Amino acid sequence: MEKLSKEEVLHVANLARINLSDDEIEKYRVDLKKLIDEIDKIKDIKGYDDDLMISPVEYNTELRPDKEGKMLDYKKALENAPHKTGNFVEVPVMLNE
Amino acid sequence: MSKYLDLSIKEINKLLKDKKIKPIDLVNEVFERIESNSDLNCFITLNKEEAIKKAKELESKEVDNIFFGIPIAIKDNICTEGLRTTCASKILENFVPIYNATVIDKINEKNMIIVGKTNMDEFAMGSCSKTSYFKAPHNPWNKDKITGGSSGGSAACVSGRLVPLSLGSDTGGSIRQPAAHCGIVGMKPTYGRVSRYGLVAFASSLDQIGPMTRNVEENAELLNIICGKDEKDLTSARKDVEDFTRLIGKDINKMKIAVPNYFVSDIVSKEVLDNFNKTVELLKKSGCTVDYIDIKYLENAVTLYQIIAMGEASGNLARFDGVKYGYSYENPKDLEELYTKTRQIGFGDEVKRRIMVGSFILSGENAKIYYDKALSIRDDIKKSFDKVFEKYDFIIGPTTTTPAYDIKEDSTDPLKAFMDDVLVIPVNMAGLPGLNLPIGFSKDKLPIGMHIVSKRFEEAKIYQLASFLEKELKLNLDPRGDKNE
Repeated sequence: MEKLSKEEVLHVANLARINLSDDEIEKYRVDLKKLIDEIDKIKDIKGYDDDLMISPVEYNTELRPDKEGKMLDYKKALENAPHKTGNFVEVPVMLNE
Repeated sequence: MSKYLDLSIKEINKLLKDKKIKPIDLVNEVFERIESNSDLNCFITLNKEEAIKKAKELESKEVDNIFFGIPIAIKDNICTEGLRTTCASKILENFVPIYNATVIDKINEKNMIIVGKTNMDEFAMGSCSKTSYFKAPHNPWNKDKITGGSSGGSAACVSGRLVPLSLGSDTGGSIRQPAAHCGIVGMKPTYGRVSRYGLVAFASSLDQIGPMTRNVEENAELLNIICGKDEKDLTSARKDVEDFTRLIGKDINKMKIAVPNYFVSDIVSKEVLDNFNKTVELLKKSGCTVDYIDIKYLENAVTLYQIIAMGEASGNLARFDGVKYGYSYENPKDLEELYTKTRQIGFGDEVKRRIMVGSFILSGENAKIYYDKALSIRDDIKKSFDKVFEKYDFIIGPTTTTPAYDIKEDSTDPLKAFMDDVLVIPVNMAGLPGLNLPIGFSKDKLPIGMHIVSKRFEEAKIYQLASFLEKELKLNLDPRGDKNE
């Protein structure tokens, strides 16, 4: 069975910001190869025109009036944050040193 | 045990108006049924206390609309303020939204009663609801069979007569395919018809919320109240609210129907095809023209869907990082480890696979090779459909290739979930409306469905054809069978 290399799996995992265990890496070497082979079939499709369909919406984006609306209370906005200090969301150290 | 829930919404509405029953009678009956059918595992979170409270509050109010006091179940990827919304994922296991989705506000305006949040595939990624962190729901027709997915809980609770109505969401068949497997009516409206505000995004250019019901008329009635332009969703359509029931009961004579050859090819099982062909004969006998046609790129729709849906999902699910909400990895050494370990532990297998492939698709040159090309062919598919609708009123086909399969069947193949939806995915590509109508049963008494598709914004016509067939076919769609008689 064809597989991706370990490095290829780690590359896509890094793009997706997902840590993987050794077992997961082995599993995804097979699974991701299957999926990528499937989407590779698009390379064989010919004869299409170049117009892109980004969204099924056929009208121009209409912005709402620039008026002050209901604001979210910060206390409410923080309700689901797993770590917080005062009025702030708390995150670990970003820069060492 | 009372049996008010076996009545039509119209009949229940009359009893409420005449003060013969109260909303609390309906709510009590719903929870009795949910509790005695807990093995179906339709719900992730029940809203019992709040539902009872709301039912009592409604006793002092006037019954002013058809859905007043009617219980409804909501798919667990639609945000409900104060009511846990998990997307069937560990990463949102304890997430309680601080606002309502627009459809929830609309349901509340009509004084409907939300009884709980339904089980589904994790982040709506799957076609059998087995990727749920909370274990799969079971099919009321045969508990050893899948419900389909991703709106499996929403389909099973309506099919099992636990709740009369539910809402689902459909990115690549997630309303219509489980509706087919569970023997109910499920509509994916035109893209833009229903606001997506508050629907946890999977693939934003494909996602759409829709009604799941026991019959066609109640489906149209429910779409009536959830549709409409919403300034909180810039992709919602500038369309006036209309009455989707207005063509129900009208003659279907001389309607022109197209069947794409691919939809009746050897990818479809004999049992499903036999049922479908019988329905086609009925349509012909009733004065419709039915032609078999070819639609370009239909057989490529799954590949395109994979590229577009996984690409969009990888961006949409980037927000789950352990910082703002949801599961958060404890004591990370730095921010990077917080992200990567939160996502490793918080997401299930199917979701991780799709995000990784999606990130691959959108990275560097690949965006041109895969994503841009998929969008070009998507445009061609849409134009092909438009061309068909210049000549025909409807496109029809079977909704699924087989009846519901065994829940124990191996589902580790990463391609399986996509292939299960092969007949319904093209509709999402083109943003068209599509409805599943039950048309018969397999020899094992499992429901089989037909997919009815129309031009954009012609849902009323779909309901017209579907209600005609429903009336002609007179199927008993109650899986409890004799127990109900």
